[in-house]
Amino acid sequence: MTPTVSASGLSLHFGGTRALDEVSLRLSTGVTGLLGPNGAGKTTLLRVLATAVPADRGVFTVLGHDPGTSRGRQEVRRRLGYLPQAPGFHPDFTAFEFVDYVAILKELTDRTARHREVRRVLDEVGLTGVRGKRLRKLSGGMRQRTALAAALVGDPAFLVLDEPTVGLDPEQRMRFRELIAHAGEGRTVLLSTHQTEDVAMLCNRVVVMAAGTVHFDGTPAELTAQAGGRVWSSAERDPGAKAGWRTGLGTFRNVGDPPDGADLLEPTLEDGYLLTLDGIGGVGGLGRGGGFGAEAAA
Amino acid sequence: MPGVSGDTSGAAGAWRALVRPVVRTLPWRAIGVAGGLGLLFAAAPRLLGEDATGRLALNALRMSALAFALGAAFLLDDPARHTTAAVPTRRAVRHTLRLAPVVPVAALGWTVALLLVPAGVRPPVGGVTLEAAAALALALAGAAFAVRRSDSTRPGQAVAGALFTTAVPASLLWPERWALFVAPDDERWAAAHDRWTVLLCAALAVWAVCGAEPVRRRIGGGLGSRS
Repeated sequence: MTPTVSASGLSLHFGGTRALDEVSLRLSTGVTGLLGPNGAGKTTLLRVLATAVPADRGVFTVLGHDPGTSRGRQEVRRRLGYLPQAPGFHPDFTAFEFVDYVAILKELTDRTARHREVRRVLDEVGLTGVRGKRLRKLSGGMRQRTALAAALVGDPAFLVLDEPTVGLDPEQRMRFRELIAHAGEGRTVLLSTHQTEDVAMLCNRVVVMAAGTVHFDGTPAELTAQAGGRVWSSAERDPGAKAGWRTGLGTFRNVGDPPDGADLLEPTLEDGYLLTLDGIGGVGGLGRGGGFGAEAAA
Repeated sequence: MPGVSGDTSGAAGAWRALVRPVVRTLPWRAIGVAGGLGLLFAAAPRLLGEDATGRLALNALRMSALAFALGAAFLLDDPARHTTAAVPTRRAVRHTLRLAPVVPVAALGWTVALLLVPAGVRPPVGGVTLEAAAALALALAGAAFAVRRSDSTRPGQAVAGALFTTAVPASLLWPERWALFVAPDDERWAAAHDRWTVLLCAALAVWAVCGAEPVRRRIGGGLGSRS
């Protein structure tokens, strides 16, 4: 199957900072989660793939087009939906007017068809009842859903979502998960997030980035398996653990290299993610006997 | 996009359909305040009555032009910039559409400003209008440059600040050899306006260059090094 995105050696510098370093990636239909600590380069990678910012080096194609040419970028943008990390709005627009405005920018110029499409995506994100309300009067979650509707308008084949669930309450996050899962049916979705639960519940593939490079690329089950046999329970915090925290049961959940005879636990995707990061120096790895574990236990 | 575009004529259709929403997104408050301030400056000679001199009228119109330019610096402020960062309608088109409704408003405002100055002390209209056009173009170029070089959704305040803090010392400290701010009775008036023409053309060129989004990024700076 031809991948939706095929990237090779993507690099991007901002001044002396290396935001992306030789990133290679192939994305196909389904939801791919992009995990990584702050400053890992997730947003930069998403912006490059969404054609919002060009790369310094490297080649990539999206939906068979080369965004490195003016014509290719136009073609990509005609089939792309992009939800940025901090979406902005014109607060005096209604939800309908704003999505309609984005639809025009996406060259949906036939008024009747466009309005039908805008109503469809607003219905899809559950905003039909408030579509006539000004954005300044909507809650943060509703504005976020408006931004998702703007990304979805025109039925894009490739959807780029940068931390769409940040700042949402658990109910709104659950609703968003449903929307993203639905959006991932038949199209390619790249989802950047700090929430490992989002990845575990939504994604058929996960990429872990740190310091501008890709450190893991596989299925959520494979990432979870990285922590197989490396998570254990103990009555006290194990000083040999890379991380450990008291659970609601009063016992400690430790991650790292277990002692002999340790009471091993089922690993989670988060355990696998933490241990993947631990192998990477200087990017906020766990650090033996301190760091994350010490803070969490305190 | 099948089933959605209908009988769309693509980019040209988008131009027409965008006019109304784009007009709504313009920073009319900043433009209005700047325009009001500009007219107030232009009215100063008339308010002074017979005490007004040609020099005062010229300075009042220059202050008026600066006020209009400061308003234009906000033209590309767009809180939805990142939300619309990856749409097929080109940035140059969006910039042009933002500029188009403001040009007639600015022309009307400037005409009123000129008419507010009593005819007896009014400086040559062509020359002072060229200066105003250059100031406006410099503000627009600054805004377009800021959009190209930064991620800011509201670069207007910084651009207006930079323009203001540059314009005032420039009028006082500009080298005599390349004099720009001369009086109509000065023999350098014509040469100065040749320089204003060059400034106007350079500013329009920067506006045009910065309006185009780079598809490749050049390492180390220049106009093309960000988004």
